[in-house]
Amino acid sequence: MATYQEFIQQNEDRDGVRFSWNVWPSSRLEAAKMVVPLSCLFTPLKERPDLPPVQYEPVLCSRPTCKAVLNPLCQVDYRAKLWACNFCFQRNHFPPAYAGISDINQPAELMPQFSTIEYIVQNGPQTPLIFLYVVDTCLEEEDLQALKESLQMSLSLLSPNALVGLITFGRMVQVHELSCEGISKSYVFRGTKDLSGKQIQEMLGLTKPAAPVQQGRPAQPQDHSVSSRFLQPVHKIDMNLTDLLGELQRDPWPVPQGKRPLRSTGIALSIAVGLLEGTFPNTGARIMLFTGGPPTQGPGMVVGDELKTPIRSWHDIEKDNARYLKKATKYYDALANRSAVNGHCIDIYAFALDQTGLLEMKCCSNLTGGHIVMGDSFNTSLFKQTYQRVFTKDYNGEFQMAFGGELEVKTSRELKISGAIGPCVSLNVKGPCVSENVRLGGTSQWKICGINPFTTLGMYFEVVNQHNAPVPQGGRGAIQFITQYQHSSTQKRIRVTTIARNWADAQSQIQHIEAAFDQEAAAVLMARLGVCRAQSEEGPDVLRWLDRQLIRLCQKFGQFHKDDPNSFRLSESFSLYPQFMFHLRRSPFLQVFNNSPDESSYYRHHFVRQDLTQSLIMIQPVLYSYSFYGPPEPVLLDSSSILPDKILLMDTFFQLVIYHGETIAQWRKAGYQEMAEYENFKQLLQAPLDDAQEILQTRFPMPRYIDTEHGGSQARFLLSKVNPSQTHNNLYAWGQETGAPILTDDVSLQVFMDHLKKLAVSSAL
Amino acid sequence: MAESYVKPGNQEKGWNDPPQFSYGLQTQAQGVQKRNFLNKRVPPPQLDGSQVSLPSGAPLPAKPLSPTLPLAPPPSTVVLPARRLSAVDCTALSASTHTECEATIEDVMGLLDWALTACRTTVKRQVCDEVSKRLTLFQEMWISGKLSSPVKKRMYYLAEELKKQNWDSADETHRSLIVDYVNEVSQWMVGVKRLIAETRNLPTEVLNAEVEGPSPKEDTTQNTQ
Repeated sequence: MATYQEFIQQNEDRDGVRFSWNVWPSSRLEAAKMVVPLSCLFTPLKERPDLPPVQYEPVLCSRPTCKAVLNPLCQVDYRAKLWACNFCFQRNHFPPAYAGISDINQPAELMPQFSTIEYIVQNGPQTPLIFLYVVDTCLEEEDLQALKESLQMSLSLLSPNALVGLITFGRMVQVHELSCEGISKSYVFRGTKDLSGKQIQEMLGLTKPAAPVQQGRPAQPQDHSVSSRFLQPVHKIDMNLTDLLGELQRDPWPVPQGKRPLRSTGIALSIAVGLLEGTFPNTGARIMLFTGGPPTQGPGMVVGDELKTPIRSWHDIEKDNARYLKKATKYYDALANRSAVNGHCIDIYAFALDQTGLLEMKCCSNLTGGHIVMGDSFNTSLFKQTYQRVFTKDYNGEFQMAFGGELEVKTSRELKISGAIGPCVSLNVKGPCVSENVRLGGTSQWKICGINPFTTLGMYFEVVNQHNAPVPQGGRGAIQFITQYQHSSTQKRIRVTTIARNWADAQSQIQHIEAAFDQEAAAVLMARLGVCRAQSEEGPDVLRWLDRQLIRLCQKFGQFHKDDPNSFRLSESFSLYPQFMFHLRRSPFLQVFNNSPDESSYYRHHFVRQDLTQSLIMIQPVLYSYSFYGPPEPVLLDSSSILPDKILLMDTFFQLVIYHGETIAQWRKAGYQEMAEYENFKQLLQAPLDDAQEILQTRFPMPRYIDTEHGGSQARFLLSKVNPSQTHNNLYAWGQETGAPILTDDVSLQVFMDHLKKLAVSSAL
Repeated sequence: MAESYVKPGNQEKGWNDPPQFSYGLQTQAQGVQKRNFLNKRVPPPQLDGSQVSLPSGAPLPAKPLSPTLPLAPPPSTVVLPARRLSAVDCTALSASTHTECEATIEDVMGLLDWALTACRTTVKRQVCDEVSKRLTLFQEMWISGKLSSPVKKRMYYLAEELKKQNWDSADETHRSLIVDYVNEVSQWMVGVKRLIAETRNLPTEVLNAEVEGPSPKEDTTQNTQ
């Protein structure tokens, strides 16, 4: 088993892929019986400090319906200078530049260690990156001041050639003209009237008689003097924009008692999208929306201005009592799609004590690959530091963020691509590799407007081989991922990853298939399917579906005697999977209870874009225990791990909880850490803080930080996550009293497993 | 030269607001590959032969110390086992925060004015005036005691780096200041940023010519054109 773990890890490190199955069942029928679909988590721009990009264009297969990139799986005839495409078997000639290659002088893209390779392609002018700030002015004074300062600070983090623009909104929407001289001017729009992109461009004076842009060719804005009134390079405009930001006032319209401020977020976003659509289509841009409350006016409004009408809750939605939900969602969906077509991503920074309408607006970020960050106030470290991290640089000193990603997938003919789940939109490109089914299906190409080294897509495949077709001897299936994108240095790059896995006949080689199961990847991939279903199905139905899949998996791969639950065993490669499913069922991704619609949207947004390790942390938080008795160690996420003389560190991705056991808390209160002879106690208290620090310093978004103790109200964050093996119901059934009982009627992992075993072995099913 | 410190978050405005790391600590963390060391899990029992109802996966705890009064003190003679290398001590502010800045405003302004004077030869007048306006504001804030000691010290460092033509270092220092002390510097720091950007683009003859000009310690009134 160690070798498969290593194999899986090596592949993730090199190619950014984690497959649910690493040996593939060779027929459609058998693959369906596997329960977990053949699928993978793929990180297109995985950080590879050891992979320098090559400075030439990739060599493509000449068959027009194929166009796969030359890769290590291709057969090569060095004498005849021919190569055979491993996807369509077309024989191709090498281009003239490859005349000197031989089997001892191979180009990089043919070497096995370059299964992932990056090309820098030089065509077209290099357009600068664009950052358009869209700022809500209906904020408390302190909040607005903190936001202004963060925006001013961000000007120092941008590169000098980046273009910036500013739109502010409240009751009206103002598009600010950026100029270096004279009085600052702005165009004011009513916050209630919806305008088309064309109308917006006309009103801003951006349209002029020009040659029509050819379909399919990226528009080249020839003359930027028109748009430069609103979008200027940082190096020219930084001083004036800093002053302009500094002078921003709260929205001047008075807010009567019992009312919310009139906030025209919908129009503001529409103008931002229209402005960029007309001036810089098909080039990397971020629209950054900063909002401190829900949209209350105009198209896209989420709640009225009367405070006595609260913003929709899950209860309201279930009872079909959310008046603005459908219309607002449709409105933002249309904006999101327009933005995605133009290659622009939309970020939402929503900081308020109440909901801000993330449920309706989430598609703006989900479809474009933009960020959503949620918090209580702009005047917090969570906002300030998370926002700084948008501008994080890589090991080469360049921004990690990248733009305009277009991912194309090619498969060998025994496979088809069913769909993808992640921060992307379909490009609706049909082809030989495309099958139906799953979200964002019906295509082999997707667009990810905003992409970074951690963006991870879930890709789902279908085996199409017929059941009685023989397995090619030693045959392997192959998949190629081709990602074109605009690097933050504005270079156009292409990253190509080509992988292969063995086929196996499920009838005779099931043990090989089993041994190559990646339960961690499978858990995350199934979870993404579940989250996807939860968008359109009722909660209990999704859980029933998840449970059914788990039971079927156990029936297929468990070893047991019929109707004898005690005989049930799972091999090591499946041993963690039921536990993942148990925690997934209780997670905020599938349980909306106790979360607002905005919160659920927020958690789901991050869940469907993170890499495997972070996604697993979200499903089943990590728990580490610190004590005097040994070094820090991982412990069961279970109530029995909560002990009086231990400190626990729990990471749920969104929160970092440091919990001090009862005795530790009492010692801390008594002040032993201040006394010289109890220096080791001081160190013990410090240890989890140090370990938490690394996470706090790097994670995006920054997690909440909870320092709590036995009996503390914040301890609920820990108590609600641990498996409640000990509750008020079964406390006195235990022989030995260890751990803290959890006051819940939730099913424990033990009960869950008992039921699972009963159902799996039952001959009735 | 950026400080490394951690401040608590704003607990008033955001519940469980995480601590605030200085720019120095943040950039330090960026360069290092993520270690992902807190990602181990313990497999549950139940799927092996045992019918144990008590999860046995957790390490057997030693007899828990009784929490009832009187409270027994923590073990003081136990040597704490070696931990992972801990990061910077979270709670201590950098020592340099507490010592006063030794440079004077004249020292700093002298260096900055040298750069501004050099810029006036080729850079648009309006830009230079804008920069000058902000430098004046900086000077006023210093003199009226509105700037904290770390800001003053780092500004002196920045000015020296500027004079030595270490552009990247000066730029990095300006960034660390605007990130860590935005409320003190936001009104004028962009002028300093611009000054660095314009000065580094000056032709070398102009820079070197100015080097022979008045030195920072002399009376700054001689510099005005």
